[in-house]
Amino acid sequence: MAKPCYFALFDLQPGFRLDLNELSARYRELARQTHPDRFADASEHDQRVALERAAQLNDAYQTLKSASQRARYLLTLRGHELPLETTVQDPAFLMQQMELREELQDLQESADLSGVAAFKKRLKQAQDRLNDGFADCWEDPARREEAERLVRRMQFLDKLSSEVRQLEERLDD
Amino acid sequence: MALLQIAEPGQSPKPHQRRLAVGIDLGTTNSLVATVRSGLAEPLADADGEVILPSAVRYCPDRIEVGRQAKSAAASDPLNTILSVKRLMGRGIADIKLLGEQLPYRFVEGESHMPFIDTVQGPKSPVGVSADILRVLRRRAEEALGGELVGAVITVPAYFDDAQRQATKDAARLAGLSVLRLLNEPTAAAVAYGLDQSAEGVVAVYDLGGGTFDISILRLTRGVFEVLATGGDSALGGDDFDHTIASWMVEQAGLSTDLDPGEQRHLLQLACAAKESLTDSDTVSLSYGDWQGSLTRDAFESLVEPLIARTLKACRRAVRDAELDVEDVEAVVMVGGSTRVPRVRQAVGELFGRVPMTDIDPDQVVAIGAAIQADTLAGNKRAGDELLLLDVNPLSLGLETMGGLMEKVIPRNTTIPVARAQDFTTYKDGQTAMMVHVLQGERELVKDCRSLARFELRGIPPMVAGAAKIRVTFQVDADGLLNVSARELGSGVEASIQVKPSYGLTDGEIARMLQDSFAHAGDDKEARVLREQQVDAQRLLEAVQGALDADGERLLSAEERTAIEAQMQQLREVMEGQDGAAIEQQIQRLSQITDAFAARRMNATVKAALSGRRLDEIEE
Repeated sequence: MAKPCYFALFDLQPGFRLDLNELSARYRELARQTHPDRFADASEHDQRVALERAAQLNDAYQTLKSASQRARYLLTLRGHELPLETTVQDPAFLMQQMELREELQDLQESADLSGVAAFKKRLKQAQDRLNDGFADCWEDPARREEAERLVRRMQFLDKLSSEVRQLEERLDD
Repeated sequence: MALLQIAEPGQSPKPHQRRLAVGIDLGTTNSLVATVRSGLAEPLADADGEVILPSAVRYCPDRIEVGRQAKSAAASDPLNTILSVKRLMGRGIADIKLLGEQLPYRFVEGESHMPFIDTVQGPKSPVGVSADILRVLRRRAEEALGGELVGAVITVPAYFDDAQRQATKDAARLAGLSVLRLLNEPTAAAVAYGLDQSAEGVVAVYDLGGGTFDISILRLTRGVFEVLATGGDSALGGDDFDHTIASWMVEQAGLSTDLDPGEQRHLLQLACAAKESLTDSDTVSLSYGDWQGSLTRDAFESLVEPLIARTLKACRRAVRDAELDVEDVEAVVMVGGSTRVPRVRQAVGELFGRVPMTDIDPDQVVAIGAAIQADTLAGNKRAGDELLLLDVNPLSLGLETMGGLMEKVIPRNTTIPVARAQDFTTYKDGQTAMMVHVLQGERELVKDCRSLARFELRGIPPMVAGAAKIRVTFQVDADGLLNVSARELGSGVEASIQVKPSYGLTDGEIARMLQDSFAHAGDDKEARVLREQQVDAQRLLEAVQGALDADGERLLSAEERTAIEAQMQQLREVMEGQDGAAIEQQIQRLSQITDAFAARRMNATVKAALSGRRLDEIEE
């Protein structure tokens, strides 16, 4: 089964700047129609189709809801798929990442909760900056390389924020 | 959020057109059945006017008793009276033998590793015992509604894993019920509270029942109930409060811990009664045998404080998983009999900074919500008026990869239904089969996760390592049940499985698994690095051995060969150990010493290829 374009599924133009409230409103509307609960009475075949459609809708929603996944998906629509794992030629950024991780390590050792809160705030600002940068350049084919670099950076920061969450978990004892 | 009781005047079709459907709360301690009549959801009572059916089953030589009568026989006939059977659902004999110390039953092993309880009526499985409870509720509903049911919505703790859900569904089938949906208990409670379609906002549902604890964070938007995150502990509930008090009594009375089943039951009943009276009184007198004493509410609260603290921790985690702050939660709903304990209400109120809602009877709220959903699923609502419940999977699902690592395919708190595929490849040259081991849990190592199923994909065409592309697809349906299939993309060879429980771990182990997953995230990472190095080492050893077998004779001197073999032996030894750095170092040594050999093999291959081509050209 060919996958329809995620944006088209929600009747949206492909774009990075999305009104997330609008996206969730449309998601809920579509889910009303496709959710397997609507087919509790249907034939086994129709139930299976409903299950697949609902799963696809959920997948599309998850992808578009997250800034980094949305950015990646846009680049896929625009050209070749971005390899998931690749050697990152971005030494300055990597250096900064290492420093941030060390900082996180220190926060863990000192069990500094207000430090973690401040760290999260900075992380959020860094993510916002990346998002702004990507919004500026992704549509320009000449700046494709820059856009790809920003997507990789976004993924790094996503991973970092999940590490922050794990740290909060460990400190919550 | 507005809090109106469930009333939809004028919206229900004429009575004779209605399709009879019920919601059933199959609880650890109590069970209920409810339905929607004249637009109103209400629990159905038995002939004596009681809506609550204690989840107790007694097997007598000539009959089966279910409910109050059975419960009252628990101390006098402990071996034939089964209480809290829900705690055994989806569990294997090995798990329950560990639990068995506290449980006054005789377990026997049945087929397929299912634990059976030996009674005067022969061995009974937990699924069968649950079915006996469901059968009574089904009969009650059919008598009250005057017809056959089209189906039922059965509630399960949100934190139930795949095996526990399957077992529940099996029990319903055994009782002759058609299952319209398995519904998570906190979601059902949210439905009962928020049915009024104007209810909007973020709600936390705190559900502390007899044997399980759930916390769910939901967003309500015009009839859509979207679960943002869920968490909990499938082995924590009011029963544990009772056990804590009972142990305290044993200690105070200086009793031996080696009590017979009847004595154990009796003590637990006293403990439960004491807990209940401490809801309204500040102190309660206790006596057991010659011992007399009293328990104050303060003392009780400090006994159960660690249990309450565990629930609060799960609450904070669920809020984080929902990517919210505690302040974003606009209402807190209390569900389950154990939320009657004043200290529980107080602690939850403090955490969320608001008074929890207890307007609907905490014992009935889940059944009421299930009845409303059953009514929707049976098609008794007008189009557009239906509720929509968007639930999530409570635990991550994944696969075992090389080195005993768990690769997550669907992370916890993903909206269901969901389908995700992940591609894997072969590890060895010529590999024609692959074992797919399906896991559930949050930890990184396979041994710390719950094993759900194993199956094999056979008939992969032989290729060099890494060339085959095997796509494994996980599909979770709206009941939260998992289906896994695997397919080799080049050849189209296929295998699939409806995951059936392989009953691997105890409740305690699952709980520990989850709690440990965060405490040990650091250890896990080290363990993961070590495993990866061990895998790398193994891969290198196999590659070198393969090269030696093929060309060692031709391209190496005896001396060179001995040197390589010595380094290989060295690597085999260090990779057995725990020192990741040593393994890494030895991998480098072996790579270095085989570099020249690899270069010679490459040259030989190129030469052979060139000579081959010349031959072709001559022939042309």
